[in-house]
Amino acid sequence: MIEARRGIRGLAFEGWTALALVVAPFVLPKIGFVPDTMNRVLVFGLFGVGFDLLFGFAGLLSFGQSAFFGTGGFVAAYLLTRMGLTSVMLGLAVGVVAAAVAGLLVGMIALRRTGIYFAMITVAIAEVFFFMENSPLSDYTGGENGLPGVPGPTFNFGFASVHVTGGWSMYVFLAVCYFVGLALARRIVASPVGRIFVAIRDNPLRAAAVGHDVHAYKLLAFVIAAAYAGFAGGLLGVLQGYMPPEAFTFDTSGQLIMQTVIGGLGTLIGPLVGAAVWLYLRDFLQGSLGMGASWKLALGVVFVLLVFFLRRGIVGGLSDLIALARSSARAPGKAAPGGGDDAPVFAAAPQNSNPAPPPARDPGEPEIAGPILQVRDLSKTYGGLAANSEINFSLERGELRGVIGPNGAGKSTFFKMLTCEINPSSGSIHFEGRDITNLGVTEVCQLGLSKSYQVNQLFTRLTPRENITIAALAERRGKFRLDLLRNPADIPGLSQQVHSTLALVSLTERADVPVSGLAYGEKRRLEIGLALATSPSLLLLDEPLAGMSPRERVETVKLLKSISKGRTTVIIDHDMDALFEMSERVTVLQLGKILVEGTPDEIKANAAVREAYLGGVLE
Amino acid sequence: MAIGKFGARDAGPVSRRTLLRAGAGLAGGALLPSGLILPALAEDQPALGTWPDGSSGSSVFVGISVPRTGTYAAAGEDLIKGYELAIEHLNAGSEIMTKISPNIKKGVLGKEVKYGIADSEAKPNTAVQNLTKFISDNKAIMVTGSVSSAEAVADNKTADREKVIYLVGISGSNDTTGKDCVRYSFRECFYGQTAAKAIMPVLIKNLGKNKKVAYLTPDYTYGHTVQKSMEEFGNEGGWTKATDQVSPLGTTDFSSYLLNVANSGADVVVNINFGRDAVLSIKQAKQFGILDKMTLVVPYNTPFLAKEVGADTMQGVFAATDYWWTLEDTNPIAKMFNDAFRAKYQYSPEWSANLAYAQIAMWADALERAKSFYPPDVIKAYEAGAKVQSTVGEVFFRGADHQLVRPVVIERGKKPADMKTPEDFYDIVEVVPGEGLMQSPTEFGCKLGSYT
Amino acid sequence: MLSLPNFAAQAFNGLVLGALLALIASGLTIIYGTLGVLNLAHGAMFMVGGYAGVVAYQYTGSYLVAVAAGSLFVMALGLLMERVVIRHFYDRPPEDQILVTFGLGIVYVELVRLTFGSLSQSMPPPSWAAGITSLGFMIYPTYRLAVVGIVAVALLALYLVLYRSRLGMIVRAGIEDAVMVDSLGIDVYRVFMIVFGIGAMAAGFAGIVNVPIAPITPDVGESILVETFVVVVIGGVGSFPGAVLGGLIAGEILSLTSMVDPAYSQVMLFLVMTFVLVVRPRGLLGEQGRA
Repeated sequence: MIEARRGIRGLAFEGWTALALVVAPFVLPKIGFVPDTMNRVLVFGLFGVGFDLLFGFAGLLSFGQSAFFGTGGFVAAYLLTRMGLTSVMLGLAVGVVAAAVAGLLVGMIALRRTGIYFAMITVAIAEVFFFMENSPLSDYTGGENGLPGVPGPTFNFGFASVHVTGGWSMYVFLAVCYFVGLALARRIVASPVGRIFVAIRDNPLRAAAVGHDVHAYKLLAFVIAAAYAGFAGGLLGVLQGYMPPEAFTFDTSGQLIMQTVIGGLGTLIGPLVGAAVWLYLRDFLQGSLGMGASWKLALGVVFVLLVFFLRRGIVGGLSDLIALARSSARAPGKAAPGGGDDAPVFAAAPQNSNPAPPPARDPGEPEIAGPILQVRDLSKTYGGLAANSEINFSLERGELRGVIGPNGAGKSTFFKMLTCEINPSSGSIHFEGRDITNLGVTEVCQLGLSKSYQVNQLFTRLTPRENITIAALAERRGKFRLDLLRNPADIPGLSQQVHSTLALVSLTERADVPVSGLAYGEKRRLEIGLALATSPSLLLLDEPLAGMSPRERVETVKLLKSISKGRTTVIIDHDMDALFEMSERVTVLQLGKILVEGTPDEIKANAAVREAYLGGVLE
Repeated sequence: MAIGKFGARDAGPVSRRTLLRAGAGLAGGALLPSGLILPALAEDQPALGTWPDGSSGSSVFVGISVPRTGTYAAAGEDLIKGYELAIEHLNAGSEIMTKISPNIKKGVLGKEVKYGIADSEAKPNTAVQNLTKFISDNKAIMVTGSVSSAEAVADNKTADREKVIYLVGISGSNDTTGKDCVRYSFRECFYGQTAAKAIMPVLIKNLGKNKKVAYLTPDYTYGHTVQKSMEEFGNEGGWTKATDQVSPLGTTDFSSYLLNVANSGADVVVNINFGRDAVLSIKQAKQFGILDKMTLVVPYNTPFLAKEVGADTMQGVFAATDYWWTLEDTNPIAKMFNDAFRAKYQYSPEWSANLAYAQIAMWADALERAKSFYPPDVIKAYEAGAKVQSTVGEVFFRGADHQLVRPVVIERGKKPADMKTPEDFYDIVEVVPGEGLMQSPTEFGCKLGSYT
Repeated sequence: MLSLPNFAAQAFNGLVLGALLALIASGLTIIYGTLGVLNLAHGAMFMVGGYAGVVAYQYTGSYLVAVAAGSLFVMALGLLMERVVIRHFYDRPPEDQILVTFGLGIVYVELVRLTFGSLSQSMPPPSWAAGITSLGFMIYPTYRLAVVGIVAVALLALYLVLYRSRLGMIVRAGIEDAVMVDSLGIDVYRVFMIVFGIGAMAAGFAGIVNVPIAPITPDVGESILVETFVVVVIGGVGSFPGAVLGGLIAGEILSLTSMVDPAYSQVMLFLVMTFVLVVRPRGLLGEQGRA
């Protein structure tokens, strides 16, 4: 993955890419590239930049990108050939807008589902686009004959006017377009939005739970990819002076996917490399090797082998290799964080030796008197089975409440309803005086209620620092914001918040190790940190001590005590000693109902509780 | 900024013109008759397209772009066979070539013809890519091939832009030599309008007046134009439309359309589908018993159609085609071509192979008559409209739209019992002469571009 | 074209069209439901089944041998594909599985093209189903009528395997909860392999049964695959009854739309799919779990 590092070396990647684009016309023709092939590589490379944002970053595999490629292309071509529009750039711009609008509409339908469903829906919708182009709209699109006669752009520099036709002048034009598109995509990737894309790919459930509007961000990724596709489609028409109908076919989408995967997902320049390899091999296999009709078979085999063995494509493979070389060149023992160029974009940590927990957020209005959380007659039934029934529960501001109960008492269901992960069958929940009963998990988190999970829900392909940043971004930016070009380091207070959260959960030293390299206890602390980083005013901790060694427990109890200062906290756990030590009051659930509620001492003395636990655990 | 810097490196036509050879004169150069074969004199014009680079060596290169994968691959492979045989004959200076073009020695203007083949996948986009590659990389002096009109139109525009001659492969659209015609392209095969005009009178003569017609029309521009033409020419015999069943390209099951046809009360089914769509729709029409009640007409025959659907289904079917191998009974050139083709490929050529062969032969003829590789000279030799004896009889290219004026063969499927060989699928009902058949060059809005 | 006899004819034809789609889609859906793998090579396997059957027919002249050969060959191909390729993808992201099957689909198509060329191959219907049958309100090819029966038998067989056998219990449990099956100590990989083989066989069987209706070329799989997607999405991914219902609905849409405006029958299919997604995102008979 690319991590754009701002500062002195921040634009190194852009610099190298620009250099490569300048040098390519002098080098590549020597191995058999002709200008036309290179121009096509650029168009497909640009198409792929958008697709990589969608698939490589946001994790949405669409098989329908041809719809937007064609839409942008045909709108631009129609304006330039039939409507007499003279400004090619304006035509391209309108094409981009048309493709983005199409992307928005299609996305609203397709994004109702995820994963494989999503992929299948995009295929079908793209087929509809192809049909529309080919048949009902053929008066405008030329049907199966496409639109010939798309002009090249003319640029007036004052001293000279350059008309771009074929060959190398087209290359320069396309290379500039590609470069701008790539640089823009890199800004997007480095922006808060880009970070959230990656988080959504990694763990959409958690991304929503820390307060990001996952659906809106997915739609945004889809629209951005559609806009890129539309731009590339327009350029295809300009490049060959002809807008072909097969821009709309399934084959176009398939080729895009194959090229992107061959080049390397999540690299942004991968699609360019993939397109170059694809088009070069295509010519090479047919021409130099004389393979005739079997060239496609050969490319298919190459593709399958690449998917099988080289998971990160050519660019990914190369960067892994470089990272390996660099890390082995370094002093052994000092782990390379993320390896080579993959140094984090996330806020550099200011030194602060005295971490304080992020404050619970200020509700903004004069504090409402009364309990922070008020639950009335809450019930949840699955089929005929009652998981929770008629629970009445209320929390005072600043309280630390423990919730215990034997297995199957309905503790987790209760928590899930509080965070709105599941909707209750009946009853109501009021948080800060507001009815949150049927809200979603994202809205509730934005209101200041968050939970750490019983089973870790981390962004496993990111580092702890990145994990915490994702959560903190939700608090700083709200559930959705279009700051596509913003540098996260410019968000006031973000780095401070990330740093102090990391320090609080004692992960400062390990902040840049991938999550997969963390010990279990560290992952548990990160799990708590994720909930904490959103600065909740009510924090729910679902079995935070589960699976920890006794020493880790002692440390975590200390941590829990410190984070509960100044905020309301509810902890579910089986470790009663720890819970009784921390809590002011304890609620005991049994068979989906509240058995009893009281101070730790009252609970310990309660006969019904002893009965529930068969006397074994409470000594 | 960068554009300004690279502008000078532009390899497009504008800057090519500035790359004057030493000693070359600009004014009037293009008008000089390049009567002498001496290379020094032939170069008296500014460089144009791949000229003179492409013809300065001992051989010239020809680029062939046809589908080898995808739905149209079968026709594409057949075209390749025709091209390969023609180029082989051309380089050998074989007898059949000299029958078509008396001036041919070996190769073209003394130079050996080499060629490359690239898969167009029947996609215009890929076709353009192939052509551009042949032109810039191999310095092709001529490019050829297509199995769909979409490909042909895209190729037209590319060739015209690059100033390299392009010979259309299969393309049945009126527009290829109509509104999408270009100076640099030439078409051998006939097209939708001609097909309709040729076959309708024969149908009326054979089937009688006042028939009801059901159309099976593929849903693209070509299909709709042919359908309109058929309807129009049918009016003259009092033929009326019973139904028009429009199906998307690539339909695999025609049953719902065929049921509508069966219930339409039509006497004749006109099937405008091409390629695999034609094969499937005809086979399924047979299954539905439609062909037992109605006469099937195929206004634009697909190569290998009879072989694929079988003689039993094809009996009694009327079709218009470019070429059928039994023309050899009356045409000695056809006989020679068929024999050579059968010797090499073990079957009788379909019209796609004939088209490819004829295109190459007539191109060589134009070159020999121009006595120059300079594209405008070659084009003018084509446009002179010299009569050529081909496998379908006497033909000539029309200067105004670069369409070959050629006869249309109307054939009818034989009863399996009457077939003399397994390939003897059709009787030739009539060979309709081309003149008077083809629409005037201006009818479809052809405006040829400039020579340079 | 709107007349009662024609409506009856088209409605009946929709049933025939839908039957084949249902069979192909159920193959796709049980593989996805059990293994969580969307097999983009499913269309290609339909095609391979057709070719394998035609080859067998050319040697034996027997329809039954052809159908058996087509089905068994594709089943073997499915078993092999699962063992050699798919198995290594269970712990990889679903996108990788889609990509690798997409690539394999291309490889199959081009291998067949290399072997058999691009001209279509065909096979006549068996003698007992040749000709045309009159149904009173319409005449209809006998073989197409037979196909309804053949497909119904095949679907019934699939149903018995899925709902009345021990394997089926495991499979359906797997659709609902893969982890649970795992913990029961069943050799999940073996079950997966068999299911993949059965799912592939459904496509191969449909492929060869379809040859007497529509001769095959190497490319037929692509359009079939897209239609199959639509069927599965309408019916609900992973649901066997959903695939059958979706197939029948799709067949009716294709057929009945052609009476109004034939050009729109394909597009109508996609519009209905979109509508289903808006109204009932998990598909008509889809489970809430998988998505």
